[in-house]
This record gives sequence, C-alpha cells and structure tokens, in this order.
Amino acid sequence: MDQQGQNGLLTTYREGWRKRGLSGILISLLLIGFYLFLYFEDKVHRYYHVRPLTDLAASLGLRNRWYLYGFLYCAAMLFGAFYYLKRHGNSRYNRIRISVNVAVQVMLGFLLPFIMPLFGGTEFYASYFWPLKYDYLYPHTLQDLPLYLAVYTIAGSLIAAPLLAFFFGKRWYCSWVCGCGGLANTFGDPWRHLSSKTTRSWRFEQVSVHTVMFLAIASTALIGLDYLMDNKSSAFHAVVSGNRWDDWSIKYVYGLGVGAILSGVAGTGLYPLLGPRVWCRNFCPMAAMLGLIQKLGRYRIRVKPDMCISCGNCSTYCEMGIDVRSYAQNNESFTRASCVGCGVCAHMCPRGVLKLENVKPLATEKGRQGLPIVHL
Amino acid sequence: MGPSSRIVIIGNGVAGMEAALLIRAREPQWPITIISEESDHFFSRTAMMWVCCGQMNHQDIEPLQRDAYANANLTRIRARALGIDRSAQQVLLAGDHPPVPYDQLLIACGSRPRPGPWKGSQATGVGHFVTMQDLEWLEDEIHGGPASTRAPRHDAHLRASNPESPYFKRGTALESRGSTSSQPAVIGGGLIGIEAIEIMVAAKRTPHFFIRDEWFWPIALDTRESRWIGERMEQHGVQVHLEHEIEELVTDDNHRLTGIRTNQGEFGADLAVVAIGVMPNTDWMANSGVELHPRGGIPVNGSQATNDPNIFAAGDCAVLPWWDGTQRPEQLWYTSRDQGRVAARSMLGEKATYQRGLWYNSAKLMDIEYTTAGFVNLNITGERNWYFEEQGSVRSTIRIVTLSADDQDNGNQSDHNQGQRVIGFNMLGRRWDHSILLQWIRERRSLQWVLDHLKDASFDTELTPPLRIPKSALQQEPIAATARKTNQPTIEPPTFF
Repeated sequence: MDQQGQNGLLTTYREGWRKRGLSGILISLLLIGFYLFLYFEDKVHRYYHVRPLTDLAASLGLRNRWYLYGFLYCAAMLFGAFYYLKRHGNSRYNRIRISVNVAVQVMLGFLLPFIMPLFGGTEFYASYFWPLKYDYLYPHTLQDLPLYLAVYTIAGSLIAAPLLAFFFGKRWYCSWVCGCGGLANTFGDPWRHLSSKTTRSWRFEQVSVHTVMFLAIASTALIGLDYLMDNKSSAFHAVVSGNRWDDWSIKYVYGLGVGAILSGVAGTGLYPLLGPRVWCRNFCPMAAMLGLIQKLGRYRIRVKPDMCISCGNCSTYCEMGIDVRSYAQNNESFTRASCVGCGVCAHMCPRGVLKLENVKPLATEKGRQGLPIVHL
Repeated sequence: MGPSSRIVIIGNGVAGMEAALLIRAREPQWPITIISEESDHFFSRTAMMWVCCGQMNHQDIEPLQRDAYANANLTRIRARALGIDRSAQQVLLAGDHPPVPYDQLLIACGSRPRPGPWKGSQATGVGHFVTMQDLEWLEDEIHGGPASTRAPRHDAHLRASNPESPYFKRGTALESRGSTSSQPAVIGGGLIGIEAIEIMVAAKRTPHFFIRDEWFWPIALDTRESRWIGERMEQHGVQVHLEHEIEELVTDDNHRLTGIRTNQGEFGADLAVVAIGVMPNTDWMANSGVELHPRGGIPVNGSQATNDPNIFAAGDCAVLPWWDGTQRPEQLWYTSRDQGRVAARSMLGEKATYQRGLWYNSAKLMDIEYTTAGFVNLNITGERNWYFEEQGSVRSTIRIVTLSADDQDNGNQSDHNQGQRVIGFNMLGRRWDHSILLQWIRERRSLQWVLDHLKDASFDTELTPPLRIPKSALQQEPIAATARKTNQPTIEPPTFF
C-alpha cells in the first residue's frame, strides 16, 4: 500500500448531504434534537412523563442514558473511523492516529467508567482533563476521588498535558486522545471542508475560544475560593455554587452553557453546517490553553519552498479553518494555535509541500535551505 | 516614490496578480487595472481538476478572498483584449468597452490549448482542459453540471467573446447525446491528459487514453517509472493505448463525436479531451507591434521587458532564453509567479533580473507522488542512471542521473566529485525536499555521497516507514538510460556546470 497521496479522488461536493444544503440542515436538526433531548430528558419527563433514552438504556443493560450516550458515541466513532480510513487510510499517520483515538475513547471513555462501578470503583474518565472536563478540578470532585485518581487528574491537567503540548503540539490530545476531537475526525469527517476560512471567522474564534478559557479558569477559581471560605449560607456561595445543583449559579450556568449547549448541542449539532470542529475551534478551553502552549513549543507545519501551486486542497480540508495555503504559497513554515495536527493538509497536498513535525526551534534549519520560520 | 504611472495588466492569473499586489504594496496611489476575459477572480488553474471531480468548489481554488481586489484598490475589467495601440498607449477591448490607457502595460495572458490538427477536431463533444470555460464544459459533459455553484458572473464575458477565444465556452454534446458522456477519451499523454483521466475515473468512467509515445510521458519518466503509472491507470479501468497516432475524430451527421480513429483502429467515444499541449495565448496582439517569437510567445529580456520599454510580459506567454540556447516559455506556476514579481519591480523602476534556477517540479500521477529536480531525461552525452525500486509497505522508485566525473573539467575545488557526479533526480512514490536535492546538484556531490545522505532530503509524512536501500542496490553501478525508439538527440552537458 502506498503511504501517502490521496486515495483516489474525493467527490465531496458531488454528495448532496455534504454540501450544507437541505439534507445538511435536516441532519443538523436531528443531531441538535438528540442532544437537547439527551440533556433535558428530565425536564421533558416532568411535563410529558416519557423517558425514552433512559428506558432504552435500561433495556440494553446500560444503567442510565449517559452510558447509552457513551455507547452510541463509540459506535458513531467506529463507524466514522471506517469512513475516514477508507478515504485517508493510505497515510500511516492517519491509520495510527485514528486507531489510537478510537481505542482510547472505547476503553477510557466508555468501557472503564462503565465497568469500574460494577466492582465498587469510581466512574472516572481518564482521557479527559481540566479545563475541558471542568469539574475535575472542583474541590468537591477531587475530595470524592480516590487519592491516586485525584493526583492523576491534577498532574494530568496541570503538568502532563501542557508539557506534552510543548513537545508535540496540542495534537497529542486534540487529535489522538480527546473524545470530542475523535468524534469530529470520524463521524464528523464527511463535513470537514465546511469550516469557514475567512479572516472574520478567525477573529471570532480568537475572541470566543479565549473568552471560554477565561470563564473556565475564573469559574474554577471562584468555586475553589467558595470551598475554602466554607460558608454555605453566604451570598457568595449562592452566586458561585448555588445551594442545589440546578440553582442558577456560576457553576450551573457554565455547565449548562459551555458543557451542554456549546460542546454538545452546537458543537456536534452543527457538524453538517459549519464543519466538525465547531466546539474545538471556537469554544474548547482545553484547546485554547494547549494552543497557547503550542505557539511556544516545538510543533509546526513545515513548508517546502517554492513548490506550492496554491490549489487550495489544504485550506479546503482544514477542519480548523486555517488558510494553510496562504502560508504555503508564501514559503512560511508556521505554527497556528488552533492547529490540531490531524495531518490531512499534508496528506492531501498534491505536491507534498507540507509536513507536520516537532523541532527544536532553529536547530533543524542548520545545513538546510534558509527557509524562514514564521511564528504567527 | 516616482511619478504616478497608470498600470494595466492583461491577465488575472498568478503572474498578473502577483505583479498587481507587489506594485500596490509599494505604490498605494498608482491606478492599477486588471483585464481578464476568463474570470472575475484569480484562481489556481492547476487545481481545476479537483473542481471538476467535486473535491473542491469553484471558490475553494481562489487563493485570495473575494474582497482582495477591493481591499487592494485594483480595478477589474471583464473583457477580451483585441489589441494594443502603442502610439496612443491604449489596450483595445471587445464589446462596448472604451480603450484602456496605460503608462506601463504587463501582458500576462497565459496559454491557450493547442487545437487538434485532425479532421473532426471542432466537433461537438471535443474540447480541452486549460481554461475556466474548459472546466465548465467538462463539468457539463461528465457530470451534467457543476458540483457546487460556479463563480459569480462566470459567463459575464460571453456577449463580447467569440469562438476564436480560448475563453469562449464551447457547446456540449449533452443534448444530442441525451446524457452525460458514457465513453470518454483523452488524447495526449502529458500532465493535463492524466488530470482529465483522473476526472473521468473519479466519475466512474473507463476512459480511452491515447498516447502517441511508446510510454506515458517520456519527457519526464523512463520506461520503468511509466510502467508503474500505466499499471495504476489500468487498475482504475483506464484503457491505455500507447503508440497510437490519431488520424480522425469520427463524427455523425450532427457533427457530434462518435469515435476516434487511430493508426491502429477505431474506438468508440462520445467525448474527447484533447490535451496535446498549450501555446502562448497571443493571437489577439499579432498586429500590435510587440515582437512575437515564431511560435507565438513574447520574447522578454531579463527584466521581463518586451521590445517596447513600456510593455512587459510574464508567465506562460513570455519566452526567455534557456540554458540549451533555445527560446521557450516556462509554463509553471512558480516561474510565472517569480516572473510577475520581476516584471512588477521593473515597472516600479527597479533593476530587477529574473534568474532561472535549476529545473524542478512535482506532481501527483493518479495517487503516486512524483518529484523531479535537475537534469532528467535530457539524453545528455555520457549520462548514466542509478535506479532503485522499493517494493514493500511503501512502493517507490528512485532514479539518480549522473555524469562521469572524468567528463568534467578538473578545475573545480569540490571534494565531492569523485566517481559519478549527480545532476538530476526523478522520484516516484515518496516525497522529497527538492530544495535539498538541488543544493546537492549545485554542490557537485558524488553519487556515493548522495546515496549516503539521501534520508536528509526525505519529506515523507510522519510515521511513514523510512526508505531502506539494500547494500546490493547501493553498490550497483549507474547504467545508460533506456533509449527511446524515436531518436532523441543528445545534448552536451550545460556549460555552467
């Protein structure tokens, strides 16, 4: 099998459901409806006395609707992985990357948290870290975890994740481990060309993603402060954490707004209209944080000088909406904070102009052509 | 800043657009007008095949956002140029457009397809694949229409165009055929030919591919390399016909293509893409007094100036002296871009010289990567070829062209010219950094040295299994290249070596 070069030609725009047309809107509405139902089944139940997801989960032995969701999630990823590998599987990077990503999600994102409680263990999602899994640094969460898991999640979120991002770019997480990224790269892959490449969308993304990152850090800090103050009757406690879990507190609003609406309903629901990385690109606080570290770190996309023909395959198929072509045609090797390192731009390039790599700054250029390294 | 100069650029391709943007960057006030019959928006011609397949839409192949012209304050005129009135310093336009006055004119009007010389070449169902209008025609013939929307105003020029223009959209055989093409054919075994083949394969057709030579693309590939490409095409159902000379494009009473007759028989075909090369698109300016080469191009000096000091030419339409003494155009994306930049700097009053480096190029033939650098397939006297075919989890071929160091002058100081000296590379299946390969050629590296360092030039994507060449292959001596049946003249080694 050949290792690189597209596997034949892609007929993307000749498939109606991938074109942001009527069928795209219908699929999107279906996904949005599913997510709304998933998150608000309790409310539906309160008024209409039906709980189809919970009932279905029970009948399948999946205990509750969240495990059903986890199961469907894995199924969608597996199904999408076959689709993805059929198209890009002749690249070894993509074969290994997608296999690892799916395996991590099935094992750590579903099987382990499903099985552990059966043996009296904790339901723990080892492949998710703060600030994506925002409650994993909340004091009461840590308090409830066994010590080794508390250490794992603190060290993982604050030390390992940033360190790995420094050396390998944020791709180690966003494209190899994370379930959100995994779903986007498998189930969402048919729509990857729909992400907007305009400068306007780039500006929006810069503001929105860093705003959510700030909110994630600020809300976690406030909840930590509230815990330290330990005054359940204060107004501060009511505003920050609320007395019941669904009081309109900062904690609840963040969970509802970011955790449910932005990551689930909009993040996945808009796949067929805005591309599969709506959440990762515009809202994910983890992506924002690792992206800033990526800018300082060793990961970059190297551009072979004076070979680009500006065809636009790289930009078109960039799921993060990066105009890769603009760098390639200017002979600029580059690191963009948003790049998740899926490798598709390099894979699709008909001239082999692009290459993902981790390099010590400046060191690799020794003895090579004087290609400028541009940090943007 | 010099005195204001009215700049007019004919052609909206990479040469013209690079020039316009560079001039605008230096001179915010100069009026710049771009005349194009083909398209409102600068697009990448090399990407047309993916639009036809549906891999990209019409907007995806535009390297700049559509507000680029407004942002850079570039005036656009969508019209066919009919000539240049040099005494009045005006460009004459078709339709009801008034002439456009210029102080300095850049001609960057590119290439047009070479028409088929055979009977029936003008039939319905016969076309080319060079211009935007060719792309629209082929989209219609193969798919019945575009995959997505076409660029806005895509036929705005039609009123004032004419069938002589390469941008005139030819009629399709859709109606008389009653459907899209079921048996397409491609004539001409070059890069545009194989692009058309890929379009047809992606549309699940099994096209005929008529190639005059004894193997596909002999100016770039040798027989072993070409055999691999041929195998890959046949795996996709392409009917490859080598050494077929076209004699006639057979038509029915409605002047619609029904078949192709070659020296080896007649083949049914309801669509033919004629891809037998391109030539400078300069018919329109034949009587303007700007000097033209006998084969159509515009001769330019090192500053891209023509015989008229106020008129410059860049890109496919310009001809310049090559190292072998011939005068030819350089029909490549990156050379057009560089020529456009040099022309712009000349128009800004700088002393700029276009410096042509060693030849390099890359492409993808079906899904096989191809990189070339230096002097390959030129039949240089004394040339030898070191060849290795990798058959494993990666399939690739490596061909290194060498000259015996004994044939070289002994005056150079390099340590690396013992034995066989490397002058060219032809690589399939893997990716290579051509800039490093070229550096080795310039540094006069020996074959042994290059083989020892080959991995430094690798540009494979991450996690691709590395190339391993067994010892026995490393020690093999380079041998003379496979001779072509048609006597290819030998060339003396270039003097600048």
